[in-house]
Amino acid sequence: MTTAAPPSAQTIVSVSNLHKTYRLGRVDVPVLRGVSLDVRRGEWLAIRGASGSGKSTLLHLIGGLDRPDRGAGSTIRFRDSVLSDLRAGDLDQYRATNVGFVFQFYHLLPELTVLQNVTIASMVRDGLGHKSSAATDKAKALLTTFGLGERLRHRPAELSGGERQRVAIARALINDPDVLLADEPTGNLDRATGDKILDALAKVRAERGQTMIMVTHDAEVASRADRVVNLTDGRIVG
Amino acid sequence: MYQLLLTFKYLTHKVMPLLAALAVTLCTAMVLIVWSVMGGFLTTFLQSGKTLIGDVLISYPTTGFAHYDDLCRRLEADPMVEAAAPIIESFGMLQLPLSGTPRTGMLWGVDPDSFDRVVKFRDSLWWQPLDKPMPTDTKGIDLRLDPDWKSRLKEVRDWGNALAVPREGSPNDARAALVVGVMMGGYNERLSGGVLDPYIFLPGRKATLSVVPLDGRGTSLSVQSRILPIANQFHTGLFELDANLTLLRLDELQAMLYMDEAERVQRDAAGNIVTRPDPETGQPRPVMIRNPARVTTVLVKAKPGITEPTLQARVREIYAEFARANQGQISPPPDSEDKNLQVQTWKSRHGTMIGAIEKEIGLMLFLFGIISLTAVFLVLAIFWAMVSEKTKDIGVLRAIGASRRGVAGLWLSYGLAIGLVGAILGGIAALLIVGNINPIHEWLGRQFGLVVWDPQIYYFSRIPSDMDPIRAMIVLVGGVLSSVAGALIPALKAAYMDPVRSLRFE
Ligand SMILES: Nc1ncnc2c1ncn2[C@@H]1O[C@H](COP(=O)(O)OP(=O)(O)OP(=O)(O)O)[C@@H](O)[C@H]1O
Ligand SMILES: [Mg+2]
Repeated sequence: MTTAAPPSAQTIVSVSNLHKTYRLGRVDVPVLRGVSLDVRRGEWLAIRGASGSGKSTLLHLIGGLDRPDRGAGSTIRFRDSVLSDLRAGDLDQYRATNVGFVFQFYHLLPELTVLQNVTIASMVRDGLGHKSSAATDKAKALLTTFGLGERLRHRPAELSGGERQRVAIARALINDPDVLLADEPTGNLDRATGDKILDALAKVRAERGQTMIMVTHDAEVASRADRVVNLTDGRIVG
Repeated sequence: MYQLLLTFKYLTHKVMPLLAALAVTLCTAMVLIVWSVMGGFLTTFLQSGKTLIGDVLISYPTTGFAHYDDLCRRLEADPMVEAAAPIIESFGMLQLPLSGTPRTGMLWGVDPDSFDRVVKFRDSLWWQPLDKPMPTDTKGIDLRLDPDWKSRLKEVRDWGNALAVPREGSPNDARAALVVGVMMGGYNERLSGGVLDPYIFLPGRKATLSVVPLDGRGTSLSVQSRILPIANQFHTGLFELDANLTLLRLDELQAMLYMDEAERVQRDAAGNIVTRPDPETGQPRPVMIRNPARVTTVLVKAKPGITEPTLQARVREIYAEFARANQGQISPPPDSEDKNLQVQTWKSRHGTMIGAIEKEIGLMLFLFGIISLTAVFLVLAIFWAMVSEKTKDIGVLRAIGASRRGVAGLWLSYGLAIGLVGAILGGIAALLIVGNINPIHEWLGRQFGLVVWDPQIYYFSRIPSDMDPIRAMIVLVGGVLSSVAGALIPALKAAYMDPVRSLRFE
């Protein structure tokens, strides 16, 4: 895996020399120490790494939720734009339209129904221009493909873990993001349920050609992806 | 958009913030009730204060002025003036029936017809037959409804109207009589609904009235006492008048105070007796002249649509003309520039009192406003706790693209909703309480012996209240704003949370 090559037309996300250091009191804890990584359009990439290796940190940086260290030459390029050059408002817009997050612990909003948990992402993106009926139809269609067509009015607390994660995937997909960012999507589920989630992701990828970056510590899970990279000592190794 | 959805969901799923709404409810209701009662108090005070004094008063205290008939004629000829009434404002001592000690009180001499035209005093006579009970007398226990009393009440109403009682045995010959306030001397017990139950029915009984006439220089002459019948009692609702004022016919009081028309010694401007040598003995003898009757005050009622300051200015002009025209008369009226001569509106007559009440209202509102700050802090504390509880959800919202501003907007709109709910409930509660404040007060009195409203202190026997829509709007908007203010800091806290930390939050 070479890292210094300029992003090709096929490359949708290009990370180079990414540094991220956390500060714990007076001690600097370097987590990412020059990560470089290109993700091609339509690719399903798995990032493996031990617990605490910085996988989530990397995903948050790619998703524009966090910013890398200054002055270390870190860049995250999404298509033609460099994320660190974006203003806060543009970064919000980037999260709303270009990426979709799926988390290990689902992170659904407990007061909302299944349907509302999906449409809220479209409400956040559209603001006052939100078209409620179009979003609802789309959310219903997505939930139906994930086998949740009968559970639209239920609350997250009434669903199993696997069902909740499928709702979360539907939420991540409702705005048709360029990249789906999944952080241990099966980490909280038993093997069989986790496999169903991975089947669902595989189906999304097959039907939409969805670019997906998936973080996992599990080799078997990683093996479902097109390509697997390892995060070790703050760097990507082949 | 999503802010409205989540606000609605939080509103319907969270109990604790409803406590914040309750705090807003209590504070808005409290401020609104205080303002309504105090405002109603002021309004009632003003109206009652006006009840017996008309719109504008011309007064020259103590010694009074003469030729008032001419003044009243001039006033009533003016298109701005509805009516004018000459009165004497004085003090007297009254020994009421079966009571040990005489009591000092205000004593007004009035001419029943003109006084009624200006202040409608006949409407304020209490003892007259009623066809239907007062609206507040729900049980119909008023003595005045009793058919057995009807003829007696009719009789005393006629007495009151004339301020006179016929002499025994000669019905065509009447003598001056007193009309005393209903609360004077505690002869009437106030029952619920404002109904009066007399321990002793005063009309027809006799009282001894003593007054101290003063001469032109303010020196007191010998005390004058007369035993007079009581014709009726009046009720204004203004405790000070109902407990302290006695009305008597003007001519009777003029005679008692030596203010009637009579042969009197002439005095010069300095007050010294004017003398002339006796044609027979050559000794200096006081010159006697026919002194015209005097009054201390003329009450003026405005024509509809004429404001008091306008009328006051016009009355000043009319008085000045009157003073000029009567300059050559015996005991000419005081010059319009005389410092003791006052032309006041009824408001300026009660000026210090009104000012004091207005200040008190301001102070009360200020204090209750301060107390209402607790609602702000309660909203702040509850929202702070809720924002902490919702840390992860805030992280999720940021992850799906919500801006800091959007997250702050969510909590502010939630604060607005809590404020709206609280303020609307507070408004309804205040409306109900203010509308039923007297029954509630009476109930408290019956159940717990709690009398918050003592008429001795507050001038009125019933708690006045007056819910002004503009004030209600101000208070409700204030309640909503204080809730939003309380939500502000938690909203900023939510907005400035680091989304990554929020998502890692356990
Ligand atoms: N806010 C923070 N302050 C200090 N250190 C942090 C902070 N956030 C993360 N870290 C540290 O950074 C390192 C990487 O964390 P990260 O969550 O990215 O690891 P991970 O690979 O996702 O681990 P896991 O597989 O357990 O989820 C960890 O050692 C963690 O303790
Ligand atoms: Mg992780």
